[in-house]
Amino acid sequence: MAAWDLSVKVEDLGPDAPPVTISVASDLHVGGVIIKLVEKTQMQRDWSDHALWWDQKQRWLLRTAWTLEKYGIHADARLLFMPQHKPLKLGLPNGKTVMLKACFSNPVFQTVMGICRMLNIRHPEELSLLRPVEEKKKKKDKDLTEEIYDLTEVPLSSVSRPCLYNGMPAHFADSEQMEGVYKMLSVTQPPPAPEVIAKQYRPASVVDKSHIHGRWLDSSRCLMQQSIQENDRLWLRFKYYSFYDIEPKYDVVRLTQLYEQARWAILLEDIDCTEEEMMLFGALQYHINKVASSEPQMMSSNAALDDLESALQSLEVKMEGDSSSASDLLENMTAPELNDYLKIFRPKRLTLKGYKQYWFKFQDTSISYFKSKEESIGEPIQQINLKGCEVAPDVNVAAQKFLIRLLIPAPEGMNEVYLRCENEQQYAQWMAGCRLASKGKSLADSSFQSEIQSIRSFLAMQKTNSGSSNNSAASDESINTHSLVSPRYHKKYKPKQLTPRILDAYQNVAQLSLTDALMRFLQIWQALPDFGLSYVVVRFKGSRKDEVLGIAPNRLIRIDLGVGDVVKTWRYNNMKQWNVNWDIKQMAIEFEGNVNIAFGCVTADCKIVHEFIGGYIFMSTRSREKSDTLNEELFHKLTGGHEAL
Amino acid sequence: MDDIDAMFSDLLGEMDLLTQSLGQETEPPERLPSTRQEINFSVGLTGLNASLHDLEDNDLDALMADLVADLNETEKKLEAEIQGLHAPPSSSSDLPPPPKGLGVQPASSITSPPSPGNNRSSSVTTQSPSTSSPLPPPPLQSSKPTMEEIEAQMKADKIKLALEKLKEAKVKKLVVKVVMNDGSSKTLMVDERQTVREVLNNLFEKTHCDCNVDWSLCETNHELQLERTFEDHENLVEPLLAWTRDSENKVLFQERKDKFEVFKNPQNFYLWKKDKKTLKDMKDKDKELLVQENFCGTSIIVPDLEGVLHLKEDGKKSWKQRLFQLRASGIYYVPKGKTKSSRDLICFVQFDNVNVYYGKDVKNRYKAPTDFCFVLKHPQIQKESQYIKYLCCDDAWTMKLWVTGIRIAKYGASLHENFKTAERKAAVSAAVWTNRSTPSSSSPSTPSPTIRAKTATQANGHAPKPQPGPQHQGIGNLPAPPPLNEILPPPPPDPVLPPPPPSLASKPPLSNFPPPPPSMDSLPPPPPPPPMDNFSEDPPDFLPPPPLPTSYSSLPPPPPPAPAANFGRNINKSLPPPAPEFLPPPPPDPVFVASGAPPPPPPPPPPAAVSAPRPAASLKKMPPAPPKRTTPMQQGGGGGGGGGDFMSELMSAMRKRTDQ
Repeated sequence: MAAWDLSVKVEDLGPDAPPVTISVASDLHVGGVIIKLVEKTQMQRDWSDHALWWDQKQRWLLRTAWTLEKYGIHADARLLFMPQHKPLKLGLPNGKTVMLKACFSNPVFQTVMGICRMLNIRHPEELSLLRPVEEKKKKKDKDLTEEIYDLTEVPLSSVSRPCLYNGMPAHFADSEQMEGVYKMLSVTQPPPAPEVIAKQYRPASVVDKSHIHGRWLDSSRCLMQQSIQENDRLWLRFKYYSFYDIEPKYDVVRLTQLYEQARWAILLEDIDCTEEEMMLFGALQYHINKVASSEPQMMSSNAALDDLESALQSLEVKMEGDSSSASDLLENMTAPELNDYLKIFRPKRLTLKGYKQYWFKFQDTSISYFKSKEESIGEPIQQINLKGCEVAPDVNVAAQKFLIRLLIPAPEGMNEVYLRCENEQQYAQWMAGCRLASKGKSLADSSFQSEIQSIRSFLAMQKTNSGSSNNSAASDESINTHSLVSPRYHKKYKPKQLTPRILDAYQNVAQLSLTDALMRFLQIWQALPDFGLSYVVVRFKGSRKDEVLGIAPNRLIRIDLGVGDVVKTWRYNNMKQWNVNWDIKQMAIEFEGNVNIAFGCVTADCKIVHEFIGGYIFMSTRSREKSDTLNEELFHKLTGGHEAL
Repeated sequence: MDDIDAMFSDLLGEMDLLTQSLGQETEPPERLPSTRQEINFSVGLTGLNASLHDLEDNDLDALMADLVADLNETEKKLEAEIQGLHAPPSSSSDLPPPPKGLGVQPASSITSPPSPGNNRSSSVTTQSPSTSSPLPPPPLQSSKPTMEEIEAQMKADKIKLALEKLKEAKVKKLVVKVVMNDGSSKTLMVDERQTVREVLNNLFEKTHCDCNVDWSLCETNHELQLERTFEDHENLVEPLLAWTRDSENKVLFQERKDKFEVFKNPQNFYLWKKDKKTLKDMKDKDKELLVQENFCGTSIIVPDLEGVLHLKEDGKKSWKQRLFQLRASGIYYVPKGKTKSSRDLICFVQFDNVNVYYGKDVKNRYKAPTDFCFVLKHPQIQKESQYIKYLCCDDAWTMKLWVTGIRIAKYGASLHENFKTAERKAAVSAAVWTNRSTPSSSSPSTPSPTIRAKTATQANGHAPKPQPGPQHQGIGNLPAPPPLNEILPPPPPDPVLPPPPPSLASKPPLSNFPPPPPSMDSLPPPPPPPPMDNFSEDPPDFLPPPPLPTSYSSLPPPPPPAPAANFGRNINKSLPPPAPEFLPPPPPDPVFVASGAPPPPPPPPPPAAVSAPRPAASLKKMPPAPPKRTTPMQQGGGGGGGGGDFMSELMSAMRKRTDQ
């Protein structure tokens, strides 16, 4: 067979180097071409990751056994010889950026699998890559300060060994710097400064939200085919809101990143919630930050344990718990109590006398008061059991006002009682006591001290906030409460107004462990009515106006843009089939009971919508028995469209 | 036993503290610890014995059984102490029988007698809110030295154990009168730690009802005309303690379809916007999927509820319309002139501190626009108050949606757990009954209720615990079902018996008829018979939740009693046709596999002969029931009158009531 010249650009020779020309015949297979190329360059290096990219056809020549003829390659083909893995700047859900080598030759689905393996995130099928929102380049100096965590040195082969060492994949244990990267991945970030939140792009409407979903990459094609270049920036995000089998022990990074994504979705009002819910989210963020910063060790060591070790540890914890409950009991015997002069006011009694001073005794879950300390041995004037009562603070540190407002249930209704404390110290103790008693816990409860502590730190927050606005002392005691809520509330409330409200919500979560707090945050997030909805602007067949299609893990909803209401809901389990007409970019779906819908997509490519629906159906096929092996083929079948066939 | 005793002497100091109030009343506190221990013990015990003797035959004997069945000596001591604690206050003040209880209704509960006692002893436990009780002077000195003596590790362990015992001793117990469907009542002792589920199981034992998942305990508030079903995971004692002393509130034992309706027909709650027909034709597979989606994920999903409701605001008389929305975090409303967007919503109520009730007769009482009213209030509020929130719906269905939605939001996963437990119980008890009706096994099984109840109490365990035993019995004992068939034949009384369940249990002994199989008592309205073959693959351990929902969802109404069903099938074979009409369809239950699969029923012995042991068995259990109540009461009164202990107090309370 006749030999002809094939010129190939070899990336490793540099951008300006001329193409390497080799003499080939049409029946030479691609592997042979590569051997000739490598010989010609005379470079000593590991070529194993390299492959040929055919520029005109936008495809990789990955089948080394195929001949040039089979690929249809002639002398005019522009070929590039380059590594399949290239560095990529990856924006993580927590806002940090890592630089790592991602596969540019496999479908994005597999690229994500590779990335997740490197970052130690299970269930990569739930994540995908999307093009970032263009940043407003207002302050260029800000951009310079961005820290990039470098993972490009991680040998590709090491990723395949999943062995855990010290709670992390082996490659993270190689150096201190790598450990730092793992810490960034696995520990939650401190609350962002309010200005940072305010600066970020916030979608203002459903239509705004729908634009973000036009940015998802196509899972069935490779990065090169989607014109992603080396060193480009992409975002890694959870795409399918169907989180399978979260196991805190194995999912340290996954859980942390999921929390971060949820947190930002809340802070940027990507998902709507009520004020009460926002306060609870704020309280949880505060708590998570506090716990995470106080015990960063716990997190990684927890994950480090293998089964036996963790079993042993939990056993230990159990035993500790037991013994502490026993000692609690012992303490109960010696009945801790609070005794002090406080002032009481009962607005219900129409006396205008205001606050009267009595000698108060806090024991178990009850408060009793006496005329004076001397008379405290006798019968109290009144005894109030606080179990089931509502406790609210009314505090102004600057004005030295320390009020505890109690709503005490009685058969006749709720009785309102105010207790006035003299100072912070007294307030923190009595307030903590009231809080515990309202939940039926006595002062002997182990959480009493930590309760006092958290009340104090919230008081401290009020102090710093009411003082100079530049919080130079950036200890975690003095978090600006604006960091915990969305900008809407920055305008609505001053930090010191927010503090008591967040403290109030905090009471219900203060006892949670880090993992439980993370899980609680996710649960509340998932319980929001709009959770899991990805929006696309579509035009239904026969309709003249744009409408919004919401894609949820279990259903599709149709939203009327005019009213903003859900007009119609279709559940996937009633779905019989769906088709895409790629020529006119229209999706047609048939449901049981002869329900047919068809729509064209406005803000996103048809393929994206198709992939979303197929993806969710794929997610629902996962089951415990086969959870470890990802049925990639099925995913592509469900999401691939015509390219997969 | 010695060990435990030793432990106790180590801890006498602590005991002192505990028995403080008792000590004050019964003995001089200066006594040496050890003597006192003994004396306390003997006093309590004799009192117990005496009262037991007196009560032998009366209505309370089920209750007594609970107390006596205590096998552990130490346990007994503590028990005695509790009674000691209870006794003095109630005898001295003679508060016990709440006036209302004596009134027209024989059916009100007697929660109050024990509560004064509780208040006294409550320096260690909780205190009832309204009363101010003298706090005992801290007896710390006495306990300190004892503590110092303890050095060894072994001893520390003992302390721990003993502390648990002590904790047990501190446990509050209430005597609760539960009103049955037919107006009769049963009295039982409920321990502070017992969940509603445990009490229900207890009642199942006592009433021989079919144990289906709908059986519930309900609380009615007479003064406010409210009603609610206790959730199975709640503790029963706590809400009862909130009742005022003179209240006419009741605890009812009833079948409530709405209790677990959301798991049987989730589509009605989660897809309520769809048209009726779609909902009705919902496939089981889809129902199961809905339950899965909303209850088995990382987060519990609350039905998406939104609608205009009428609100009676804080003590005002008028009713106002507002657009309300249910969310996991509470009920919200849309303020005037605002959109429905989440951030504009105003929080109306959060569920941490309120329970949801059905309101009755609100049209009359409050000029409500409709009678479909649900009420949110703090459980402790017992009287008219501005803090009670009334919400009126346009129809009964909407009301059900909201109440169920609120329960899901408030209790979350517990509801689903409760349902699964109830389902398991229903299945297991069917199996147990099958087994139990065998002549040979019937008598040994009689004492089991008390023992079971007791173990449950001690272990502070939950319902499922006792089940494995009986369950295996029922299943392992495959031959059991055939005999059952033979025993069951006494259908004659059956036509006579109308649905009302528990009361019947007591009637049979009166009429000289052989008693019908107990579960016959509570025939639910016959639902269409389900296919029985579905269940043949049910694994014996009932654990995997998925199979159960599937099988159940195919049955519209609650699973009916298994033995009854067996009964029906047999009748079909061997007896005149009329009976089947009364019979409920077979339940989805492995018993069926047992009774259906090995079908060779041995030649049935004559019905009369077989039924003979049964009356004996049931007589043992049943006699204490109502009919006997009046007479023995008086006897009891004679014997226990002077005792002044808890039991006699109880008795006199009971007597007063029945006398009127």
